[in-house]
Amino acid sequence: MKRNKFIVIGSGRLGSSIATKMSELGEDVFIIDANDDAFRKLQETFSGYEVIGDATDLGTLERANIKQARTVVVTTESDNINLFIAHVCFYIYHVPHIFVRLNDTDKGQLLEGTDIEPIFPFNLSIHEFLRIYNGGDKA
Amino acid sequence: MKIVIAGGKHEADFIVNMFKEDHHELIVINPDYDFAEYISTNNDVPVFTGDPTKTYCLSDAEIQDADVLIALNMLDTDNYITCMIAKRIFNVTKTVCIVRNPKNVEIFKTLGVDAVISSTYMLAQMIKNETSLESIIKTLPFEDDRIVVMEIGIEEDYELVNKSLQDIVFPSNINISCIYRDPHVIIPKGTTVIKPFDRLIVISTPQEQESIIKYLQKRK
Repeated sequence: MKRNKFIVIGSGRLGSSIATKMSELGEDVFIIDANDDAFRKLQETFSGYEVIGDATDLGTLERANIKQARTVVVTTESDNINLFIAHVCFYIYHVPHIFVRLNDTDKGQLLEGTDIEPIFPFNLSIHEFLRIYNGGDKA
Repeated sequence: MKIVIAGGKHEADFIVNMFKEDHHELIVINPDYDFAEYISTNNDVPVFTGDPTKTYCLSDAEIQDADVLIALNMLDTDNYITCMIAKRIFNVTKTVCIVRNPKNVEIFKTLGVDAVISSTYMLAQMIKNETSLESIIKTLPFEDDRIVVMEIGIEEDYELVNKSLQDIVFPSNINISCIYRDPHVIIPKGTTVIKPFDRLIVISTPQEQESIIKYLQKRK
């Protein structure tokens, strides 16, 4: 079976933006959220599929064609749920590219031994702060 | 044994009470301040208030190298995270958790939690075992359903009646561990003879369960 789907889990600000962007770039996008209302954040240019359901339930993931996923991006608001889903995608469905947002940098330790790529808003903010602070310093 | 109990309310209270008698080293972690205080005033065990899905909290509680961690949080995913942090970062030997969603039993085990308990799952397994058999047999599965204990009533016209155990050619994977002959409990030897109305406590495997029952209930 061909792995050509792009799955986004959690239709918050980040999830919905990534889904819209990827859809514009021509990816076959599926976005999952437990709450129907959350899909309102998707832009008009989004032409993928919306799946309503709890993504910690394997049935929901399978409805979104997880078995054909090449990429999964996990962006729900809970680190624990994000990590669990990332583990399920990696260990059970062997998805080749997995990205997960984690607010608690400590939890990155649970990704050791996997190919899961973490996104830490904390690190990005610190990095950005230092960049603009130093930039301002020079000026 | 060093035992960590993370989260939970009456379950945690019950387990603390069960283990403290046996001189185990107990550590309690609970996110609820009032409940943590209740446990610590009623028991002589170290109690930490905090979120057991956070690494620093488990570190504060010094759970390193514990023998067992029991996760009793409300959310299944929280329990999964607590068990994973305990196992991978703090080298805890055995992790146990409860789950609300019975479908998580298999998933959590696949992902590395050592024992996953769901009351709904257990109930379903018991009903499944009960209904596949005649009503006079009670069964109890354990060790991940790899062992079953059954209670089988002997009726007067069974082939086994009045035979001694050493004369019966039993199928494989069977052990008659106990015979209940009102009011006596007999631990059988080869010379023990099976009588009508005995109740046999039999240990076997789920695979052999049905053939064993059929064999024992063969009528003359």
